[in-house]
Amino acid sequence: MIVAENLVKEFRVPERKPGLLGSLSTLFSREYRLVRAVSGVSFEIPAGVKAAYIGANGAGKSTTVKMLTGIMSPTSGRALVAGLEPYRERRRNAANIGVVFGQRSQLWWDLPVPDSFRILRRIHDIPDAVYRRNMALFRDLLDLDALGNTPVRQLSLGQRMRAEVAASLVHDPKVVFLDEPTVGLDLMLKEAVRRLVNHVNAELGTTVLLTSHDMGDITAICDRVLVVNHGEVVHRGTMHELLRTADTRAVVFEQQGERDHAIDLIEKGLDGASAQPLDGGRIKVEYPVARWTARQVMSFLLDHFEVTDCVAPEPDLEMVLRRIYAGQVVT
Amino acid sequence: MTPLATAARYARLTWHLSAVSVHRLTEYRMDFLLGAGGLLLRVICQIAVIDMVFRQVPRIAGWHYHEVLFLLGFSLLPRGLDRMFTDQLWILARKLVQNGEFFRYLIRPVHPLFSLLSERFLYPDGVGELLTGAALTWYAAEHLDLSLSAAQWLLAPLLVLCGTLILAALKTLFASLAFWTTSSFPALYAANQLGDFSGYPLDLYHPSLRWLLTWLLPYAFTAYVPASYLLHGHTAMLPWLFVVTAGLVMLALVVWHRGVDRYEMTGS
Repeated sequence: MIVAENLVKEFRVPERKPGLLGSLSTLFSREYRLVRAVSGVSFEIPAGVKAAYIGANGAGKSTTVKMLTGIMSPTSGRALVAGLEPYRERRRNAANIGVVFGQRSQLWWDLPVPDSFRILRRIHDIPDAVYRRNMALFRDLLDLDALGNTPVRQLSLGQRMRAEVAASLVHDPKVVFLDEPTVGLDLMLKEAVRRLVNHVNAELGTTVLLTSHDMGDITAICDRVLVVNHGEVVHRGTMHELLRTADTRAVVFEQQGERDHAIDLIEKGLDGASAQPLDGGRIKVEYPVARWTARQVMSFLLDHFEVTDCVAPEPDLEMVLRRIYAGQVVT
Repeated sequence: MTPLATAARYARLTWHLSAVSVHRLTEYRMDFLLGAGGLLLRVICQIAVIDMVFRQVPRIAGWHYHEVLFLLGFSLLPRGLDRMFTDQLWILARKLVQNGEFFRYLIRPVHPLFSLLSERFLYPDGVGELLTGAALTWYAAEHLDLSLSAAQWLLAPLLVLCGTLILAALKTLFASLAFWTTSSFPALYAANQLGDFSGYPLDLYHPSLRWLLTWLLPYAFTAYVPASYLLHGHTAMLPWLFVVTAGLVMLALVVWHRGVDRYEMTGS
């Protein structure tokens, strides 16, 4: 559904010279510096998949999304969204996609939210049944009615974001691009947005491409992950595979005996593992994946302690990403 | 889609979007009254100046008092229509490129220029200008005992339309410069100010200014040329009116498209 082939985007940034003479000289002759925001990114996202596009600031995420939505043309390479090159066939592509840029508004600034939807209905030629179904859904999940007749420019960021997300989905797009869709939302509303996106994906098979700094968004929505760093894809696969690249994992357990003694015993018995007390009498055991399996760690614990509870949580995504950015893992 | 079907679609959209925009008239009643009041004051001042001049002389450059009023009123018709539908271009010139918000016109399944303009359809100030212009034109025509020929009646709406297109094209042209300079407000403002000259007989001005207003920033074709035709039957410039309209609209669209193609959404 979404294909990127060797996408490259370079910007020309004018060089400024220091001092008064320098700024005067830029008036007449400008020198430019080439900045490569995206360098040869290739990936493919099949229809119906919910993919996260992750990367540190400046990794070229937004630039890539802007090329995929048709806002900018690539310097070289090609993108295909639902079979169209977005920047060549903007209008036809726009009918296929929905877009949220968390930092920017796409609503009618000086009109109330309901008016924006009335207009979107017309410009997308949305059939009555679809429009009614989606508006009911948005009312249910996002409480759109609460926004009332206030012009968009007077809404708070959280109120506006609800309307932005709804606006990106009102025409049943084949693909929805969500760039920081939960910025400014409280926990309840974040939950609601995630539920809405998942619901639409399950019901209509909508393909989702999400970029977010909110790990909660990514884990709650996405089943596939692309990690970009320095303009290149450095990891691709399922969420599960990404998490498996973690080099340490953890087991958390609860036991009856004395804690300091237990910690001592674990660090001696399990080579390379470390243990630390958590609140509520629990102990977290972190172990190198290369040396131990979760099964081995758990059987060790069961052998030595009166275990009353034991879990092996998913590795921490943020920790995994930090390692990838640092260039320790390239998969 | 065939061109006809496309045109019908955009006409339908314009209708619907205008209907939604009517909300704005009620929503921003104070803005509307202030805008309309300010405009009325300006027109009254212009009329006062004309009054004063005609107290000294019976005719200016061959134009009678009510003919000058007719010209002034007629000049407001395309200006009002233009303002009713293209006011968003001011925002483009001022900040839409600068703050990155222009992107939203590229993700809607309609022509980006239409999408841009549609955000301020039926702009209240324009409605006021159109009504004032119509009233003034009608008042002057009554006093002139103006009787138009069938051809003139037929052409009059077309002349207003061409005038509107010329103004819209000039505005598009100058606002599009923002794609290169991020903000083109001063350029658009200066060009727009020159348009004020179009409400008076061009014969008053120095030939260089007259040339400028005819061929470089062709405001002459929005009021002076059509009014000369309707009042005095001067047809020499009429063919040029259509050529200039078509040429200018095409030029504006080319510059617009070039600008959109080089648009780079700033920020994250």
